Amino acid sequence: MSKKTKKKKKLEEKNTIIRVENVSKFFRVPHQKIDSLRGMFVSVFSKKTYEEFVALEDISFDIKKGEFVGIIGKNGSGKSTLLKILAGVYMPDSGKVVINGRISPFLELGIGFNPELSGRDNIYLNATILGLNRREINEKFDKIVEFSEIGRFIDQKVKNYSSGMQSKLAFSVAIHANREILLMDEVLAVGDVAFQKKCLNIFENYKNQGKTVVLVSHAIDTVEKYCDKVVYLSNSKIKKIGSSKEVCDEFLRDNLTKEQLKEMKQNEGNCI
Amino acid sequence: MKNKKHESYKDLIWMLAITDFKLRYQNSVLGYIWALLQPLMMFAILNFVFSSIFAPNGEIEYYALKLITSLMLFTFFADGTTAGLRSLVAKSQLVTKIYVPRWTIILASSLNALMIFLTNLVIIIGFFAWYKVLPTISAITMSFVFIVVLYLLILGFSFFTATLFVKFRDLEKIWNVVIPAMMYSAPIIYPLELLPEEYHKYILLNPLAFIAHFNKEALINNHFATVSQYITFFTIVIVFFGLSIWSYNKQSRKIAEYI
Repeated sequence: MSKKTKKKKKLEEKNTIIRVENVSKFFRVPHQKIDSLRGMFVSVFSKKTYEEFVALEDISFDIKKGEFVGIIGKNGSGKSTLLKILAGVYMPDSGKVVINGRISPFLELGIGFNPELSGRDNIYLNATILGLNRREINEKFDKIVEFSEIGRFIDQKVKNYSSGMQSKLAFSVAIHANREILLMDEVLAVGDVAFQKKCLNIFENYKNQGKTVVLVSHAIDTVEKYCDKVVYLSNSKIKKIGSSKEVCDEFLRDNLTKEQLKEMKQNEGNCI
Repeated sequence: MKNKKHESYKDLIWMLAITDFKLRYQNSVLGYIWALLQPLMMFAILNFVFSSIFAPNGEIEYYALKLITSLMLFTFFADGTTAGLRSLVAKSQLVTKIYVPRWTIILASSLNALMIFLTNLVIIIGFFAWYKVLPTISAITMSFVFIVVLYLLILGFSFFTATLFVKFRDLEKIWNVVIPAMMYSAPIIYPLELLPEEYHKYILLNPLAFIAHFNKEALINNHFATVSQYITFFTIVIVFFGLSIWSYNKQSRKIAEYI
């Protein structure tokens, strides 16, 4: 125990809020999936074969307090698995993750939302799941409603909301329920244009508040604009890690054809 | 810090339990009446069949009262274990999209079952008033202990099966068949005395049968089990609960990958 606290102190001195050390993750993909007791009894004498799928291999990096870190890579490169390990949903098969603060994971918006409940009840439910206690929710409730632009519909059942309203409400709870460390998986902008603008403003404010953000995204321009550091995953390994401009450029060079790159250069400045 | 974290789990467990409870009754008075009607209808059918059609050895004293008391306890067990078995799969979002300790979800499900049972307690009290039977203080205390133990059995069962159900999806079908088997193997619709005496001690090894039998014996006849019977009973319950926690710890680590 004392060893652990010592280690935590050491991390604090270096201002490191997340440390990922040699993390690997494998998934076993059985050739014949057994998902019932019946299946288990039937196949008890047959040999179980499976393929090992490597989702992450020997990943190490540090994140300092107040840093904005982007994780980029092609589909299936292990981005979301990494984020899930940081969130504590998956256990790494080897290596370890040390986290020195409280995490708000936004892998999906509106976790626990129930369409049969009112907007009010859903705010309390969702915010509690995100780790707020009752007193904190009471304090923030008016702000959440105001930001979501739901107004007088707040006591209506959520099943009567439009899908835009639902995601606005979910997003609004999410941004008010945050802790020191935010993990985000492609949830940056929802709703109409005006609402998206508001969301990006909030995101910029996190910088001033000294929050640490880990962002998984395919929107390279957003990553390049907001992140200080980018981790580029390719085939379950870190291909490059460094300043956002450098890494994003390499990622684009790797993944786009010459024509697409040219097109992007022309459009530069037009995007958000 | 650690304390604060614990408190937030308390809020979470309570919120999950109360939400399911609210959804069941849909915030309406009629919803509550419907919830009461379900076990009452079951009682009415069984009471009719076994006191009119198959009445064994003529009238059994207070048959209806004994039946409703045991039936309510059994409904608590059946509903609680079924909901507990499903709990993790039903709330899979809480397992795969965020980290909350998995036991909070299972605990919330069992608390929800407890709340439903406590609201249904009105029926039992009503029946005792109707038959003008007043249990002694020690009988009521004993009944309270039985309810607590029954709750622990449901919780233990939920810890045991919720994690297994993630991997073995036919477990629910199996359980749906086992439940009626358990109901007929325990002295719920019949008195224990109906069976040959040499089998009593084996039947009472089943904690559910023990609770069903001695709960109605205590409340109606003011008759209690012997010390050695209690020792056996509590040993079985504690061993079962311990095994379920052990199984949960073993199974719960990799659940997010299978769900």
